[in-house]
Amino acid sequence: MNFSFSDDQVLLKNSVRSALDEQCKPAHVRAMFDDTRGYGEALWSEMAKLGWLGLPFPEEHGGAGLGLVELGLVLEEMGRAAYPGPFFATVVLGGLGILLGGDAAQKDKWLSAISAGKARATAALLEEHLDWDPASTSATAEKSGTGWTLSGLKRFVPWAHVADVVLVPARSPEGLSLFLVDPKSAGVTLSPMVGIDLTNRWSEMRLDKVAISADAILGQPGSAGALLDSLLRRAAVMSSAEMLGAARRCLDMSVEYVKVREQFGQPVGSFQAIRHRCAEMLLEAENSHAAVYYAAWALTAGAEDAAVAASICKAYVSEAARKVCGDAIQVHGGIGFTWEYDLHLYMKRAKALEPLFGDVQFHRELIVRHVTSAR
Amino acid sequence: MDLNYTPEDVAFRKQVRTWLEQNLPKEVRNLEERRAWHRKLYDAGYLGMGWPKEYGGGGARPMEQAIVADEMAKANAPAPTNSLGLGIVGPTIVVHGTDAQKTRYLRKILAAEELWCQLYSEPNAGSDLAALKTSAVDAGDHFVVNGQKIWTSGGAIADWGLLLARTDTKVAKHKGISCFLMNMRQSGVDVRPLKQITGSSEFCEVFMTNARVEKSDQMGKLGEGWAIAQTTLGYERGGRALARITNYSSQFTRLVEAAKRLRRHGRPLIEDPVVRQKLGRIWSEIEVERYQALRTLTFLERGEHPGAAGSLTKLSYSEFEKRFMELALEILGPYGQLTQGAPEDFKLQIDTAVGDNGSWAYAYLWSRAGTIYAGSSEIQKNVIGERILGLPKETRADRVGGKA
Repeated sequence: MNFSFSDDQVLLKNSVRSALDEQCKPAHVRAMFDDTRGYGEALWSEMAKLGWLGLPFPEEHGGAGLGLVELGLVLEEMGRAAYPGPFFATVVLGGLGILLGGDAAQKDKWLSAISAGKARATAALLEEHLDWDPASTSATAEKSGTGWTLSGLKRFVPWAHVADVVLVPARSPEGLSLFLVDPKSAGVTLSPMVGIDLTNRWSEMRLDKVAISADAILGQPGSAGALLDSLLRRAAVMSSAEMLGAARRCLDMSVEYVKVREQFGQPVGSFQAIRHRCAEMLLEAENSHAAVYYAAWALTAGAEDAAVAASICKAYVSEAARKVCGDAIQVHGGIGFTWEYDLHLYMKRAKALEPLFGDVQFHRELIVRHVTSAR
Repeated sequence: MDLNYTPEDVAFRKQVRTWLEQNLPKEVRNLEERRAWHRKLYDAGYLGMGWPKEYGGGGARPMEQAIVADEMAKANAPAPTNSLGLGIVGPTIVVHGTDAQKTRYLRKILAAEELWCQLYSEPNAGSDLAALKTSAVDAGDHFVVNGQKIWTSGGAIADWGLLLARTDTKVAKHKGISCFLMNMRQSGVDVRPLKQITGSSEFCEVFMTNARVEKSDQMGKLGEGWAIAQTTLGYERGGRALARITNYSSQFTRLVEAAKRLRRHGRPLIEDPVVRQKLGRIWSEIEVERYQALRTLTFLERGEHPGAAGSLTKLSYSEFEKRFMELALEILGPYGQLTQGAPEDFKLQIDTAVGDNGSWAYAYLWSRAGTIYAGSSEIQKNVIGERILGLPKETRADRVGGKA
């Protein structure tokens, strides 16, 4: 039993931290607000070189063969830096989806390209009613020759505008299936959805009789339910790692600020009203750390409680990050409410992730189903 | 990172479980039976496990201690006695005591031949412990102690007390305090049970009137009492880390069972989405406490002392426990308030510190104590702010002039 990072894991975390400190400063984050693609290609190539893009993929596909603890460490740092770009969409949503459900040829094609920095991927997991239960999917896949034609409306598809491939769940005659769709295909219309978090880009994705070839399906037709459940759990935990990083940044900034900001002739951090709030923020960050890395380990190790640990993680961290980031604005006072101060970059990053991959209530219901059936 | 238990720990757990199955007493009706149970546990090597071997301890790893406590919680085993002797006084003597004190006291603590209490808090020295006024005056061959202590856990059964008393009123308040070992069985010591909101008396008030402390029972140098107290407050070794979660978990199971039986608007409570959300929240928090317990044990196993991080642990579980018990009583309705006559399905069986059978009502009321004793939540937050986050100290009336 050892709940601490190995030397290699600490090394990885430190190297990600220093690379992002150097290349993903707040000025870079802000510069990407108005960029058409929304991210920097130079940093993307650098991430390929550093091995981050292939981190969880097998070595035969150009990856490092590491687990979700390591990927979580990278994503925590990305949340901390408010890294703008399709890393999460590509590596977690697209990459892990293909890793979990793809055949040898699909993995060879996509995972190698992703690891090398040559392809971007994402997944369209949400429709207009915002139900994260894969069983609620209403997009359809009709048989057409040896392949299918897909129709439906997907929303909040992260980074679809720069993706080379989108994983799209749809109902085929056999049941729920997961397809690989080129977003430049005829019949696909993307329209931007702009949220408060300008470090993330979403699209609405309309599919109107989009032709899909026979080899562009992940796994057997009708068998995508379990695959999507697995993917959703991984996305829930990995997005929690980002929220944790954002919360840590907000806490660090708050602590530094209240040490130097003076009112009534003394640093405001000497007042218990402020200090106690900061202590509560630290407690929430530490508990979130435990929830994230326990779940990341459990999913990687295939532990018995992996599924419920993933739900516990997302439910806990979503609320904790909201509190920490919100309290950070409060202890900063007025300056925390200005556009030019960087706090809102991290606060909005966490806020945008809070309802994604199952919100607090979605996961609490899964937790209760688990504890009332297992007991 | 590997959160599986090692094969050695799994085997050890099995060994403890088997031993408990064979040796668990049916019930413990009085102090003598509890003492006998205590000795049985000690003889089996399951008490004083973390103490150094040379003083009769087991030299065991923190994980082994946590596993024993956890298996005892799973078996609903009665608690041993002398918890302050084992947890606080003994380790303090090991670090600060003279050879004579070690020889005289340590083995009797382990065997529960002498029971101990801790004489720290006073009516006007709670969170501000250093404001204590009990005095110890040098009378040549001994000290004469006068004053009043409160919140003395186990005071009614204690043979000895670890005492903080003022020996110098002319220096800053933290520097005038000394530490003593005081015989409780003397005419100058009057112990009165303190009845709490639970109706029970886990704590006592202790009145000292010209009580005698031998010179040989002074611990450390005069004026070192505060520093010694700081180390004793840090002796929480994570031994209860897993057992605490096991208790929460079995209480949660009882609560879910109750929610299946109770109804509102004709439907079982367990089908009510609001109730489900609240249960889901509490279960998440129990599990997060468990993950954190594993993290604490990782630190301890590496020989690192959690230090101020212990304040985070204590703040976290004590505040959680209040939320948990508030939900329990919300779900249980008036059943939750019963101290007698509760139907079997709505009873809670817990071992209270004084050996009475517990109830949900008792557990609810008791949860209010956790955020006050051993450093209130407010004090823990001060410690976290100052020692972990490095925030500036507040301006305090007793620090003005720079004396303290």
